[in-house]
Parts: sequence; structure tokens; C-alpha cells
Amino acid sequence: MNSSPQASPSGSDRGAASDIAEHARPTTAESIISLRGVRKTYFRGKEPIHVLQDLDLEVPVGGYEALMGPSGSGKSTLLNLIAGLDRPSAGSLLVAGADLGAMSDSQLARWRANTIGFIFQAYNLMPVLTAVENVELPLLLTKLSASERKRRAQTALRIVGLEDRMHHYPRQLSGGQEQRVAIARAIVNDPQVLVADEPTGDLDRQSADEILTLLERMNRELHKTIIMVTHDPAAAERAHITRRLNKGQLI
Amino acid sequence: MRLSSLSVRNVWRNRLRALLTVLGIAVAIVAFVLLRTVLSAWTVGAEASAKDRLGTRNKVTFVVPLPKRYIETIRQVPGVVDASYASWFGGKDPRHENEFFASMAVETKTLFSVFDELVVPPADRERWLNNRKGALVGDVLAKKLGWKVGDTVTLQGSIYPGDWQFQIEGIYSSTRKVVDRSSFFFHWDYLNDSLPEGSPQRDRIGWVTTRIRDPLQAGAISQAIDRAFDEQEIQTLTMSERAMNLSFLGMVSAVLKAIDLVSLVILFIMMLILGNTIAMSTRERTREFGVMRAIGFLPHHIALAVLIEAIVIGGLGGGLGLVLSYPLVERGMGRFIEENMGSFFPYFRISEGTAVAALVLALLLGLSAGLLPAYRAARLNVIDSLRRAG
Repeated sequence: MNSSPQASPSGSDRGAASDIAEHARPTTAESIISLRGVRKTYFRGKEPIHVLQDLDLEVPVGGYEALMGPSGSGKSTLLNLIAGLDRPSAGSLLVAGADLGAMSDSQLARWRANTIGFIFQAYNLMPVLTAVENVELPLLLTKLSASERKRRAQTALRIVGLEDRMHHYPRQLSGGQEQRVAIARAIVNDPQVLVADEPTGDLDRQSADEILTLLERMNRELHKTIIMVTHDPAAAERAHITRRLNKGQLI
Repeated sequence: MRLSSLSVRNVWRNRLRALLTVLGIAVAIVAFVLLRTVLSAWTVGAEASAKDRLGTRNKVTFVVPLPKRYIETIRQVPGVVDASYASWFGGKDPRHENEFFASMAVETKTLFSVFDELVVPPADRERWLNNRKGALVGDVLAKKLGWKVGDTVTLQGSIYPGDWQFQIEGIYSSTRKVVDRSSFFFHWDYLNDSLPEGSPQRDRIGWVTTRIRDPLQAGAISQAIDRAFDEQEIQTLTMSERAMNLSFLGMVSAVLKAIDLVSLVILFIMMLILGNTIAMSTRERTREFGVMRAIGFLPHHIALAVLIEAIVIGGLGGGLGLVLSYPLVERGMGRFIEENMGSFFPYFRISEGTAVAALVLALLLGLSAGLLPAYRAARLNVIDSLRRAG
């Protein structure tokens, strides 16, 4: 596999890309993620809860950043905003050139499919699908042929070192292997940004180190920008930058 | 891999639950097919009536008879080939109190020309025609009650009280499957001549069946027959044989409607049960739907995945139900019913229409059951779904 499993958008992706292009805004020259005065407020009944307050953040292209902070500090909320799963209550949020605050739900979904790769703490693989089918899942949204989808999924699995486990079901894999399948799923669409929410939270030390090494490779060799939420100082040490959040503010 | 294959695999994720659900639908479909077959078997005689036969009865009700002399007038109506009359006897064999069968006093000389589907060996036919006390019985009835040619049987009349003795002179079968082969025919003359002089039942007939030359003229001939009695003390109502048979069934229309309703209620209950199963199954996979939404699947993809799953379960249940229904109805219950209840159900078999309806309804049942869970799964909030444990 070359460094890009899906180098150019195909089929419906092109339509989605033009759709999303309407919301394209210039980010700073080197930034792929740019937050200006971002606030996120939830309401518990009528009582407002300010989860993020006037947040400014610039992440350069190819950056690898860790977000740390106590529970309730707003790490996951910030990650969800960057991943396009949620919208800010105020402020501007540009990711990979798209103004996420101005996009509809379906535009955001298409944008996520093309731009973001997700890595979850609990791996979140489909138990009824084999490893290669799990990796293929995001490609169902493209117009690639079945054989091309399969080829790309196999390539992604080869990159994470699981070519010998392609036809295993998640229940037949160790936690570390499951997370590697999840990483293969995250990169199969060749997204620009990987968001990882506690990717080593459910793993033993050795497996965690293997996953962190793999993420480093994704960043170094495939030039993926990575934003990782973690409680693990050892994981944070692998990132280029560690940012700390407290009470919705970067400190 | 396709989205549909993900749905199909999710069907079998919890094998026991899937199996029990499919079995539940299959049983509901068997019940549906059975009840629908009761309905179609009940009306099959009417539906398969000869197109070149008309029935004439009292205009007010078929319970009140017609004067026998009307038969000659009917035979004179242009377009009529022949006509035969009959009266309902309503007899029972005291040795078989619980066995119901149709017993009718018929005009013997015209019976076979009007009802040419009846098949009787020539020797039996001859004997029956020549014996005023002779009876002609269907082969299904004869087999069930153990009657054979030469036997003497006594029937107790309900409309014509008393014990009536007959000799079985012939056993009939039919060239058409839908004809009741459990009837008991005997000479109308024997009945009439046995009634006392002055009896209001004497020289009265229940109805007339007319064979006509051109079925396309059925309407005009019916009107002509009825017009012939417009000025008489008793008016007639003539209709196609099908309409007449259906009017007999009118007496039990409430029962038929109830059966119709019950068959649909069974499917409705099964739809609710399946809906609950699908809802439970989708609730357990909330996080997976959240993941799919996160990686770019749209709400309609999620809804489609759930609907496919529900339709697959419905289809499997429907298919299994049909597979179980055929041996049950065609080989087991159907034969038993035809032999023991042939007067009501001369031909108890699953019709193509019933089979297709069962399969289509099973698929629709799956679709309907999946609608609400699919809608709810499609509307899940992505972040809340991802937070959901399990």
C-alpha cells in the first residue's frame, strides 16, 4: 500500500467534497485545526453548564497532540467538536478547511467520512464482522467496487500488522489486536485527522505501548494529524504537544 | 460486504432469540394459513360454481319453498336447457348423531343432466333411478359412515319428522374436486308421496337449478324467469349458482368475518412481538449505531439496516410457516377435514392466493414491526450513543 489508501475522493465523495467545499474557510497557513473563542454550553433543565469557555487552539498539519485533564474538564467535548460530532455554542471552528459550525448534520456526516478517523477506547468493532470487514465498513459509503474496498481494507490491516488476522472475528482477537483493527478502520479512508479517545485505556502496558508506537507511525509515516484524549502520562509523552484542560479552559 | 449483509448477520447474533422469533412468526403464519384455508374452503364451492347454471328460490327467503308447478314454467323460458328441483331434507343417521351431511330430495330424471359433474357407475345409476327409496351418496360420506351399495339406512328427519328408510343404490364421485362428495340424494317423489294429503309441505320444492345454453345470457334469463312469476302469489329470485351458494353462506357470514378478523389479529399480535424483539435488539446495539454514525453513515442508512433485519426475520418466519403449513394442511388436517366435514369443506387445500398472501404479509409484518425501532435508531444522538455502555 502506498501511504494513502484512498488518495483521491471517488464517486459520492466528490459530491460530498463539493458540498463541503461550500463551507471551506481559510485556516492559518500551517493549521489544520483552528478554534477561536469556542464555547460549548449544555443545559440541565434551565441551568446552563459551560463545558468549554472561550477556547482558542491551533493544531498544525501533521501535529500529534495529547489532551489531558481531570474528568469533566471538557476533553471529550473538545474532541467531539474537532471530530464534527457536535457543534460549538459560540466561536469559530475550522477543521481541514471546513467551517463545522455552519454545516448541516448530513454535511457533517459526509465530512467526517472523508476527513476524520475515529479510534475509541473500547475499540467499538462490529462483533458480527471479521477484521477485514470491520475495516471495510467506512468504505461502504464510497462508490468503490467490492474488490477495491476489500483490497484497501487488506492493505490497511497490513499496515497495522494484522495481515494474518484478517478473517478473525473481534472475539477471536486480543484487546491490542482489536485496537489495531480499529486503527486500520480509522485510516482506511485516508482521513487527514485521527481523533483518539483514550486509545490505550482498556489495554495492558505492553499492548498500550504497541498501539502508541503504531499511532506514532501513523503520524510520522502517513502524516496524519492526531488529537488524542488520554489520562495516561506515558501516552501523552509520545505526543508532540500535551495540552491540559481544566474547567473548560486550556491551561 | 454490503450493508444488507451486516443486517443479515445481526439477525443471527442472538441465535436463540432469533430462532424463537422466527418460530413465533412461523406459528402465526401457520394459524393464518389454516384460518384462510377454512375461509377459502368454505366458499370454494360457491367460487367454483358452474357458470351455466342458475338457481331460483323464493324471493323472500330460501327457507320458504316454491310450488312444484313452477318447474314447468322455468323449463319454457328461452335459453333454458334443463332444470332440476330439490328440497332440503335435513336428515340425520341416528347411529351417527354427530355427523352432519347434506341430505336432499331431488328430481331424479334431471339430476345428471343439470349436474353433469356427478359420476356414478351406470349400473348404480340405473338401480337408483328405478328404486323410489333408493339413495345416492357421496363416496367420502359412504367411506366415513361405512355405507356400501345394498345397505339399508334410516334417517331421522328434522324438517320432515319421522324415520325414513332408504336403500343405498349408488355411490357418486365427481369430476371436479370442489364438489361436495358427502351429500345424500334421494327421490323427491318418495318424500312428497309420503306426506299426508293437505300437508302444506306437499308439492313444494326448495329451489330450482337451471342449466342455460349461454352463460353470457345469464342475467337476461334470470330476469325472464323471475318475470314469469311476477303475477303469482309467490315471487322468485333467480341468480347465478355462485350467488345462490353465497347466499346460503350468508347465514354464516358473521362466523366467516370473525375468522377473517382473527387471522389478521394473530398477525397483528405477532407484529407487536416482533417489534418488541427488534426494538430490544437495536437498543442493545446503540453504541454500534453511534459508531456507524460517527464514521459517516447517515440516519437513513441506520434505518435501512434495521428494516432489512426486520424484513429478513419476517421473511424467514413466513417461509418456515408456509413450509410447515403444507404438510399440516395438505396431508394431515386437510384430508381429515374433507373426510369428516366434507359438507362444509369439500376441498380443504391451501390456495395459491393464501400462500402468496401469507408470504407477503410476513414480509409486511417484518417491515411494520421494524418501522418504529428503525425510526428511533436513526434518530439516536451520536455522542449519547457512543457513551452508552455495552
